[in-house]
Amino acid sequence: MGTIELDALEVRLGGRTILNGLSGVLRGQAIGLLGPNGAGKSTLINTLLGFHRASSGTARIFGLDTYRDRAQIRSGIGYMPENDSFIGNMSGVRFVRFMAELAGLPSAEALERAHEALFYVGLGEVRYRKVNSYSLGMKQLIKLAQALAHGPRLLILDEPTNGLDPIARQRMIQLIQEIRKEGSVRLLISSHLLRDIDETCDEVLILKGGRIADLCNIEEERRSNRSFMELETVGATETFSVSIRGLGCECACFPGGRIKLVLPEHIEARDLYRIASEQKVQIRRMHVRRDSLEDIFLRAMDSEGERSAHVHL
Amino acid sequence: MSIYKHTYRAYTGKVTPIRARILAIARYGLAEAWSAKFTTVLFVICLVPLVGFLFTIYLSNNPAARLLMGNAGSRVLIIDGSFFLKVLTTQSWMAMALASWIAPRLITLDLVDNALPILLSHPISRFGYVLGKYVALFATLSTVTWVPCLLLFAYQGYISPVPWAASNVRIAFGMLTGAVIWIALISLLGLALSSWVKWRIVATGVIFAAILVPAGVGAIVTGVLRTRWGFLLNLPVMMSSLWDRLLGVQGHMDHLTQLPTAAIVTMLALTCCLSIVMLNARIRAREVVRG
Repeated sequence: MGTIELDALEVRLGGRTILNGLSGVLRGQAIGLLGPNGAGKSTLINTLLGFHRASSGTARIFGLDTYRDRAQIRSGIGYMPENDSFIGNMSGVRFVRFMAELAGLPSAEALERAHEALFYVGLGEVRYRKVNSYSLGMKQLIKLAQALAHGPRLLILDEPTNGLDPIARQRMIQLIQEIRKEGSVRLLISSHLLRDIDETCDEVLILKGGRIADLCNIEEERRSNRSFMELETVGATETFSVSIRGLGCECACFPGGRIKLVLPEHIEARDLYRIASEQKVQIRRMHVRRDSLEDIFLRAMDSEGERSAHVHL
Repeated sequence: MSIYKHTYRAYTGKVTPIRARILAIARYGLAEAWSAKFTTVLFVICLVPLVGFLFTIYLSNNPAARLLMGNAGSRVLIIDGSFFLKVLTTQSWMAMALASWIAPRLITLDLVDNALPILLSHPISRFGYVLGKYVALFATLSTVTWVPCLLLFAYQGYISPVPWAASNVRIAFGMLTGAVIWIALISLLGLALSSWVKWRIVATGVIFAAILVPAGVGAIVTGVLRTRWGFLLNLPVMMSSLWDRLLGVQGHMDHLTQLPTAAIVTMLALTCCLSIVMLNARIRAREVVRG
């Protein structure tokens, strides 16, 4: 069973189809949700939270229907919305406690968890200040604290680094990485920033125009590209390239001793070092080229039309 | 999570039932409403007339006081349906003032801070959210309407030298029913109107206007068209008429209006339905982040 299962999910709002036939099973520990503006990311999140009813098809979280079983699902979800959303007149600890009580924690436990959550996200020292006196970064953190306080199974973060300065952003990314590492919480992170997704997620769902443009496991995608290599050499580069062709590598030489090659499966980097040593060639730099998330995203944007409607990992 | 370790830990304890979450909404709503000093001041003002009514009951049952007041005393100090109608009417309008102050504090702040997406992402429905706020307002208004009314009734029953309470149970029932109808109506109306206005003070004015402006229009309709049906827009007249009938008092209102009870009840029910539709539309529109 995946964390999120979509089966021909279609959502229509105001007579317009916003999500169109989404199918896929998301199993990752941290799932990134990417897409340009208007792609349907927020609608998908709202559908998963049970705010929108599917016009056709189904969406399931941990095997439960997102609309029919929304009360049950919501008690196991922590949601951090994109925009400012809090009760400004309350102190930080009171606000988080209130949210924890709404999630179903008894009052005393909610208070204890509120203190813990605020210390965890780094707002321990300001927890008695009113929320509307917080800076933008603190407001983002208190939204994360309230999403965490009740110990959810799935954490939905909508643009978690929105409006944060580099230091605050780094802190937020670290927190997300720690939560992911802890292992008991699955994450769904929607962001415009590819770097955020790249640093925190192991699986990515890319939406475009209400359809799935790509659904891939980032790690697997990178592993599939590990055979691309770039070398910078000093010495008899031409002879060296001939020798490595002899191993079965495809390679191309460039001025300045640069060589680009594709390694066959049975060839390791040490074989290259051995040949280089035999031929007195120095390998000054060896770079294994990895497909960046940007490459995956751009490819998905380009090839979305060619993609079949049904995607499975 | 642990404060000293700063690490995350999942929650494995017990979970409360849904009704506890509705009560949490009500509890935090009440705390918010009472965090303003003016709420306390207004609440005390609402209780001031009760002291007068209490004193009147005491005097009416005090032979020395009656003797001192002579003939005037026997006319003024009669404790009957008319007296309790005055109590109910006074406290109901006090409750109206309190509702117009508290209702915006309960709901406007949530809307201004855009708190609904985060509140409703928890296992509580729109209905549960509104019910929680409603319970908070209803409970507050109860403390200045039917609760003190019934306490005064009980005091009169206790202090009266002759058996009084048993023969006047209808008054107690009428006060309870009349007050509950009134506070149920103004609570819904207050929440509905507050949800559509961004500023609290303006919301307070709008609540009063929603009662008084249609009343004026109704009076014009009645005057111009010479029909009693214009009073169907006049909430104060309708409620006075209903209270008269509930307490079994022949008030002056009935002679003027002669509105059938069914028409009054239907109009009140329609007002409640309209308030619910307004609340639902507003909260539904604000429950999700649009983007």
